Amino acid sequence: MACEPFDIANVPGPAALGVVATPEAMASVVSSARRPLLVVGSEILRDDFYLDVAIEIGRKGIPIAATGHSIKGFVQKGYTDNVHIINLHELTNCLRDPEWRGLDGGGSYDVVIFFGILYYYASQMLSCIRNFCVRPLMRAISIDRYFHPNAAMSFPNFRPKDEDKYKEMLKKFVENIRR
Amino acid sequence: MAKGILDVAGLENVRIFIGEVAEEEEEWEPMGPHPKPGITTLRNWDFKLLQRYKPFYAPFCDMCCLCTYGKCDLSGNKKGACGIRMDAQQGRIVLLACLIGCTAHAGHARHLLHDLIRKFGRDAPIDFGPEIAVEAPLTRLITGIRPKTIGDMEEVLDYIEEQIVQLSDALHTGQEGSFLDFESKALHMGMLDSLAKEVADIIQIAAYKLPSSHPGGGPDVPLVEVGLGTVDTSKPVILVIGHNVPPAADIADYLMEHGLEDAVELAGICCTAHDTTRYYPKAKIVCALGRQLRAIRLGIADVIVVDEQCIRADIVELAQKTFTPVIATNDKALHGLEDRTYDEPDKVVKDLVEGKVPGVLILDPERVGEVAVKTAMQIAPKRRAMKIIMDDEEFQRWVRLCYQCGNCTLACPNGLRIGSAMAKAATGDTKPLAELFDLCVGCGRCEQVCKRHIPIVDVITKAAYPYVRQERGKARVGRGPVWDTEIRDVGAPIVLGTIPGVIAIIGCGNYPNGTRDAYLITKEFADRNYIVVLTGCMAIDAALWKDEEGRGVYETHHGRFDAGGVINIGSCVSNAHIHGACIKIASIYARRNLRGNYEEIADYILNRVGACGVAWGAMSQKAASIATGFNRLGVPAVVGPHGTKYRRAYLGRPDIEDDWKIIDARDGTEYRFEPAPQHLLVACETVEEALPMIAKLCFRPSDTDRGRSIKLTHYIDLHEKYLGCLPPDWHLFVRTATDLPIARREELLKRLEDEHGWKIDWERKRILEGPMRPYDPSFDPTNLPRLIRKKKE
Repeated sequence: MACEPFDIANVPGPAALGVVATPEAMASVVSSARRPLLVVGSEILRDDFYLDVAIEIGRKGIPIAATGHSIKGFVQKGYTDNVHIINLHELTNCLRDPEWRGLDGGGSYDVVIFFGILYYYASQMLSCIRNFCVRPLMRAISIDRYFHPNAAMSFPNFRPKDEDKYKEMLKKFVENIRR
Repeated sequence: MAKGILDVAGLENVRIFIGEVAEEEEEWEPMGPHPKPGITTLRNWDFKLLQRYKPFYAPFCDMCCLCTYGKCDLSGNKKGACGIRMDAQQGRIVLLACLIGCTAHAGHARHLLHDLIRKFGRDAPIDFGPEIAVEAPLTRLITGIRPKTIGDMEEVLDYIEEQIVQLSDALHTGQEGSFLDFESKALHMGMLDSLAKEVADIIQIAAYKLPSSHPGGGPDVPLVEVGLGTVDTSKPVILVIGHNVPPAADIADYLMEHGLEDAVELAGICCTAHDTTRYYPKAKIVCALGRQLRAIRLGIADVIVVDEQCIRADIVELAQKTFTPVIATNDKALHGLEDRTYDEPDKVVKDLVEGKVPGVLILDPERVGEVAVKTAMQIAPKRRAMKIIMDDEEFQRWVRLCYQCGNCTLACPNGLRIGSAMAKAATGDTKPLAELFDLCVGCGRCEQVCKRHIPIVDVITKAAYPYVRQERGKARVGRGPVWDTEIRDVGAPIVLGTIPGVIAIIGCGNYPNGTRDAYLITKEFADRNYIVVLTGCMAIDAALWKDEEGRGVYETHHGRFDAGGVINIGSCVSNAHIHGACIKIASIYARRNLRGNYEEIADYILNRVGACGVAWGAMSQKAASIATGFNRLGVPAVVGPHGTKYRRAYLGRPDIEDDWKIIDARDGTEYRFEPAPQHLLVACETVEEALPMIAKLCFRPSDTDRGRSIKLTHYIDLHEKYLGCLPPDWHLFVRTATDLPIARREELLKRLEDEHGWKIDWERKRILEGPMRPYDPSFDPTNLPRLIRKKKE
């Protein structure tokens, strides 16, 4: 199933067939990943709820790349154990290199989860991953409130009045991650 | 002997045409190795840059649609029918963007040169006063020419145009196939762009006597008014839009010649506004590009005069809705209007005032002033009787009509949640809608998709109207070139690092979060004693905000090219003077030869001049070529998040040791060095992230320990202020204990020992082991083996 991109004209091409997925399906991809990475942006700071979601995912053993100025929230919450500060451009540049040592020295990642990132910046970085992280294949999913055609899986677009529905989906996503 | 036609007496049928007369050139500097470089001349330099700062591609579109084999799907780095891969196609599109940007500046320069030679003659001197001897640093550096008159710039433009044609040829199907070579060509195009800008600004400064180092110029330029609220609409208002100043100058001349300066308002949008105030300081700057649509819709203009670049494509349609006639003045932007250049001015005025035509073309700039002024004066009383701004009742009707379908949000470049603000306004709370005014980039795409045909831009403007009427700031007039005498004073502190950097805030207004970021970036760095130079839209937007005492950033900071200065350099083409300042540091302070010596000077700037460009709202192809031109000269740039749509960045990887090798020119010893600067082009998501990034990109390998300590202080402090913690890579920039911020030396030494395993001599407070290279105050860094003075035995 697909829907309109959050930026309506952001139609990259025939191969950009990212699907709208359920939180359970996305959690399943993350659960079976060899080395997943949560990439968070500054939009998680708009509500404590989103920061707590990121921390909960981090507590399941998934490392967090804090891009934008999102690190501020983690510092304020006192959760910095597996949180790494990095610019999103820099991170994506590293992700496309299969020889990269990773944020913790353990090697590159096979699944990246985008969360709380400015829509169009995220979309461009997801495009890079989709086009250039192909050998080995890296899967990028988005748990933002936008449909991302450049992500392998993402949620549909949520209107402000549907914020609670979005939060419910995030809760389900986190609950279903088995690590 | 002069140019012309020679009739030979006694030989009736013989005429000798003398084109160019070769004069023996005064020897002013030995010619360097690369005068008028061609496509491959500086390729080795480009490849050195591209090895360290590898091109990073984020495709905006997976397809190539440029030939009839296509469309080709290149996703997953597949090849198209012609054999091109996705990465090379991205490089190709980047070259295309730089081509469009460069030709805008070069076309502007050529157009301007034609007009100025016609008006002032080829021999109009380039004389910028007693403080400027190096009048054209880019021209000297790239072409080896030292221009003395505006006519001397014809040869420079000939060179640029020839190179542009060759580079454009490479874009054709079946030509270039390597992404690295596309990038080298884009860098060449960027360099040509910088040169074209210099030509354009130098000739207009010379001809129109715009500020330079003659009395009243430089730091002494006056302040001008900026903002939508500055225009006195009780007078007839002429609004000039674009980048090419001759038509606006003619309007100013007409006003002055007829004593109408106080009777008619001359105001501008975008770079023509900058250049008009450089010529006629009574002019006002209404706004930057981002508010063009709204300024026109507000109906403040009685006549709109457009020249070239950054003009809305629907300008005539928009203007008709506010009963405003349009005068187009440039063959690049004709807008379907009838050519009335040589008609009787009063007849043209009559047709415009009576609304018989929506606008006219007047392609001779010297015929624009009379028509524009007379039209404005005659039409103003009629227009004042018309209703243009919507009333409260109409506003309420529109906001109630909105049913929050969300289409506008999906169409908005910034994804603004317009529907929910409309819903609030329908209940009487207009604040959320008014707050969108500054966040909106003014594109109008929302209106194109509104199923209820709500004039969303006007509704937002109406909600913000009380604020809009109060929008009044002040900016310094664009001052043009940095003085040689200023460079003598600051060259050493910049190279040694004690002035921590030169921050060039430039480019368009496609901001992620409103104009306030322009003010914040300017203020933050000026308060920290960086030198802040601004041009174009950001120079305008930075003037819109004020401190608690009601003073703008141009009022609270001096206008000298010195620590803590906030300097409006001028319009887009004035960006060349920022290149020029960096080049002059190499020439005047370090006494390097400029002439035809691009590679060596770029190497000097990359290693020693802590300058960083900031194009926070970069939108246009011109911004792409401007940034690429800065990059080739060794100046990194930070762009806002929309900048990722340019598809390409130049990113360094500090974790790849081999990328960070540099030579000591004294003896050829190779060192691994710190990532200084780490990137050539990088995007940040938010301004909070950008501020420490900008500070980081000012590190240079040549920094003295005192300079490094100052730069590290600001990098750490900005990171802690805006991101809440120490930067993760601060230790990479430490070579010796005296590199550390003085106030925190002990604490940071402890961290180096505990967190990074460095060995510290605590008694002498020295680092014994840890840094990637030792600190040597005489270190002479270069990337060019040919500059090694004496090979190590």
